[in-house]
Amino acid sequence: MNAHSSPTLWNRLVLWYHQMGSPPYFYAFAGRWRPWFIAATLITAVIGLYGGLLLAPADYQQGDAYRIIFIHVPCAWMSLFTYAFMAGCGLVGLVWRVKLAEILAMESAPIGAAFTFVTLVTGSLWGKPMWGAWWTWDARLTSELVLLFLYLGVIGLYHAFEDTRQGARAAAFLALIGVVNLPIVHYSVVWWNTLHQGTTVRLFGPSRITWSMLWPLLTMALSTHLYLGWSLLGRARVALLELEGGKDWARAIALKDAPHG
Amino acid sequence: MSAPSARAGYVAVLRRDLLLAWRRRGEAALPVLYALIVATLFPFALGPEGALLSRIAAGVVLVTVLLAMLLSLDGLFRPDWEDGSLEQLLLAPQPLGLLLAAKILAHWLTTALPLLLASPLLAAMLHLPTAVLPVLMAALVLATPLMSLLGALVVALTVGTRRSGMLLALMLLPLMVPVVIFAAGAVSAAQQGLPFIAPLAWLGAALVLALVLAPAACAAALRIALDA
Repeated sequence: MNAHSSPTLWNRLVLWYHQMGSPPYFYAFAGRWRPWFIAATLITAVIGLYGGLLLAPADYQQGDAYRIIFIHVPCAWMSLFTYAFMAGCGLVGLVWRVKLAEILAMESAPIGAAFTFVTLVTGSLWGKPMWGAWWTWDARLTSELVLLFLYLGVIGLYHAFEDTRQGARAAAFLALIGVVNLPIVHYSVVWWNTLHQGTTVRLFGPSRITWSMLWPLLTMALSTHLYLGWSLLGRARVALLELEGGKDWARAIALKDAPHG
Repeated sequence: MSAPSARAGYVAVLRRDLLLAWRRRGEAALPVLYALIVATLFPFALGPEGALLSRIAAGVVLVTVLLAMLLSLDGLFRPDWEDGSLEQLLLAPQPLGLLLAAKILAHWLTTALPLLLASPLLAAMLHLPTAVLPVLMAALVLATPLMSLLGALVVALTVGTRRSGMLLALMLLPLMVPVVIFAAGAVSAAQQGLPFIAPLAWLGAALVLALVLAPAACAAALRIALDA
């Protein structure tokens, strides 16, 4: 039988998924991949920033001030992507009780909150010269602010429990409720008269942005994704060591890294 | 001996919670007093000018009612958790969601209903135009059960934790944003003489959805938070 002799791609994926669920395996895997992630993050960031800040032409209306877009927009995308990732991991953790999924969900929350915060700050820096105000009660801004509160609620609930895993499950449930709420928040605030510009970069159909501005933007988006990977793997490694502190593999690592043996 | 029916369990929980609230009826007045005091602070802070107050009256009443309900939410499960009766509910043969629905209904009757009765007084104190009052009341009738249901869902997650006051606000208020937007939208539309049915209909739709889903989700949240 052919199916038995050589593992299919699906079999390999299933094997990989189950191996990843094992804390020592994941710890080693994350340690191997982190340098690659940070290297790729820095390289893409340098290319993207060079393209965005030096090569791309100035905007005909906003001049050079628009260049903050190369930070603002990738961070805004990441604030949503990280939330989706957190909720996805939270769902896996709740349904199959995978320890690692709980950790990934909880450790991505502070990163997502940071992305959301950077989006709000850069947006307000951009808003001051363009709109003449640091902040307006506009639909996009308000729903991004609500997103930040959702992140903070998840983080706060996670830390309110004495048992880490129980806290992770409760916070993952809150994150899932937030997923239901996010589109509602988005569309309820969209009904207000809105100052923020509409979508310019579209997956389907032509984007309303010139290529020389688009490619640095996409490179920066790639860079922020890689940064998420680097940061998340590092945070997850630490959280794993804390959670598994009593286990042999964690103790062996702690003894090996201790300054006096 | 066979287990009592689900209906009997529902009625028993409802009756118990209402009876407990009745025995401590002084406490039921506290949210109303709180709302009254918060609403009184606004004219002090903003000045007693009638035109300004009547413009913000509906929003102030909405937010005040929301905050008063938020303060009362911690008492929804915590006393039962401390005296162990919550675990009996978890073990009961009847569906947990149904029993929690009874608890939520009892909470709404004992907390939101007094606030609803007091809100015309609050609105009058802030010079809300009389013609708009029915719209505000309709918005509150639809919004307060939503607050109770969503609040129960969130407070169920915090039962096992020690401190929960500020955390509860942080978790619940983002979920409340759409409720406040639609309720305030209905009232401000009515105040400007525009049609106000659409936001009320949205609130009603959300309420129906929450009535169906929230008790079951609340049961799941409680089982997660108590690791049962």
